[in-house]
This record gives sequence, C-alpha cells and structure tokens, in this order.
Amino acid sequence: MPGLPPLIEEDVLSLDLALDGLLRKSEAAAVMLIDKGGPVIARRGETEQFDITTIAALAAGSFCATQAIAERLGEANFTSIYQQGERLSLLFCNVDENVLLIVIFNAALSAGAVKYYAAETIRQVAQQLERAGRRAPGQTLDLVSENVLDVSTIFSKKR
Amino acid sequence: MPIINQATKELQVKIVYYGPAKGGKTTNLEQVHRNVEDVQEKGKLVSLATSSDRTLFFDFLPIEAMAIKGFKTKFQLYTVPGQVIYNTTRQLVLRGVDGIVFVADSQFDKMAENAESFQNLEDNLRSLKLNFAEIPYVLQYNKRDLPNIAPVEYLEFLLNNREVQVPSFQSVASRCEGVFEPLNMITRLLLNKFINEGARKPA
Repeated sequence: MPGLPPLIEEDVLSLDLALDGLLRKSEAAAVMLIDKGGPVIARRGETEQFDITTIAALAAGSFCATQAIAERLGEANFTSIYQQGERLSLLFCNVDENVLLIVIFNAALSAGAVKYYAAETIRQVAQQLERAGRRAPGQTLDLVSENVLDVSTIFSKKR
Repeated sequence: MPIINQATKELQVKIVYYGPAKGGKTTNLEQVHRNVEDVQEKGKLVSLATSSDRTLFFDFLPIEAMAIKGFKTKFQLYTVPGQVIYNTTRQLVLRGVDGIVFVADSQFDKMAENAESFQNLEDNLRSLKLNFAEIPYVLQYNKRDLPNIAPVEYLEFLLNNREVQVPSFQSVASRCEGVFEPLNMITRLLLNKFINEGARKPA
C-alpha cells in the first residue's frame, strides 16, 4: 500500500494555507488532515480544546468502517460522513487513497455550506500531496544523518 | 510507512498488537499505560470494548518519546479484536501499520487459535499488499504463569519456524512482566528498517 510521502516545509505551508482558507470561509472550530491509518498530518483552528490525537485515530477507524459497510451495500463512491451534534458537528471527507479531512464545526452552521467549502480544500490538498509524492517517489526519511538514540530502552518500566 | 514531517520534525509510527482472542493484547496496552516511565507525553488509553471486556474495534494508546535526536517521535499503539468475526475490523486497524507484536496465548489448548490467528495476520497483511518480509514483527508468548502451558520450544516451532526467525519473549502481561521488552524490540526493529531504507535511498 503506497503511503504518505515525506512532507517538507513547502508542503506543510501549502496544506496549512488550504486548511486556513477552509476555517475562514466555513467558520469551523477546527480542521485537520489525518492519515487513514490514524495519525494527524496537519491541524488548524482551536485544536487545543480537543484531544486531536485520539479523535484522529477514532475518525480514521470510523470512516474506514463506514466505507467498508458502504462497499458491502454496493456503494462504490463513498466520500464523506456527517455527524450532527447538538453543540458541535463533524464532517469527515475523503481526500485521496491515504488521507481524510476532518472538520469540527458549530452545530448551528449549515453542513451543506461546510461541505461546499471543504470540496475546494480537498482539491488543493490532493494537488499538494500529489506534488510531494512526485518529488520523492518511494523515498523515506534519511534517518542515518538524524542520529538515532539508543532505542533498546525507549520505554522503561517504573521501578 | 511512518508519517514523516520534515518541517515540524515529527515522526509518527503505528504499532499493532495482534493475536488470538483473550490472549492479553489489551492487558499489554493497559500495563504500558500504567507503568511507562519518562516519556514526553502519554495520551489516554482509549478502549472500545463490549460489556464482556472484549475489544470491539480497537484499543489505542498514543505515546510520545524521543527516539531520534531532533525528532519528536509519536508512537501509536493499537490492539485488534481477536475474535474471528471481527476480521474486517482487524484489516482496518492494520492499515498503515509499521510494526507488529504478536501476542500468543501459551496455554496448550490455545495452540490451534494461535496458529489460526497468525495465519489470519499473514492473510490480512496480504490483503493490504504487505508481508512479513516488509513489516517488522516480534512474538510475545503470554500467560507464562499458568499451569497448563506449552514449552517455549513448542511455541517457537509453531510460530517462529520461518526462514528468518524473529525475536520472541515470554511474558505475564497481567503482572507487567515481559511487556516492555517486546515493545522496545519492535521499536528498534522498525526504526532500523527505516534507517536501512533511508541509507539505500538517501533524501
């Protein structure tokens, strides 16, 4: 399974810019890009008030599970999930094979409008990720120069 | 593939605990959560379990530790549900996996389940276009404190008789014995793998 390419500053700036645009237009509380395996790629907005790491892991699972259900119903094009809340609502959108866009927004806002603005962001993000992928086909991080610490005891038990 | 962010100097890796039902995968995560020392940041343990304490979707524990100088390394530990009916869920959780700890139940009457689960892991990796040669994994023979357990040699013969043998560990996860050793070993294996790949294809 091809994974996410390494991201350099140019990519991160461009992704942040795309997310900022969505935040501004949609007036959402927070937006983030996550890998479908669970990790967070980029986040913007009031992300401090949420447990983003866990939300991302659960969202990835939830999206992929709903996608698997849709496939079993014969639905080939599954692109988004909308969860309506009383205070905050959620929108999960497919970006490409590896990436999801998550929008957390005030429940009073129109989900249709958020989805409309998200579509433009998804295009921008997908384009940037494609550029990153083309720049470094099959490339991984050069950890050799990064000086790996002693990894035999990264995790130790309390005495 | 780990998520690498050169701009923010962040590396995120995903480690999945796999194995037969009721073998101690969740217990491993609980013990790591309770007993880990000196990590930069430890998240909450999220457990999606049924009322009978069986994992329904996955357990999830994020931990941040310094593994590579200058890089914030975020470890995401997952378990899968062991029961046969949850196979689709297991495939979903395996998505984007970087390393696997296979937790086997040492009891004699669980040997068939161990073998079945191991085969299932191989099948599920294949469905994600992965295989044991690409994904680092270690074996953890759990429940060594119980009376009716199989000798380690037997478990080795059952689960570790491939061309390349992998590190294996004995554990009593309920007492937090042999929990950190496999975790550190898998971390070492997967970081070494990235280093070797990085050396082959320099940035």
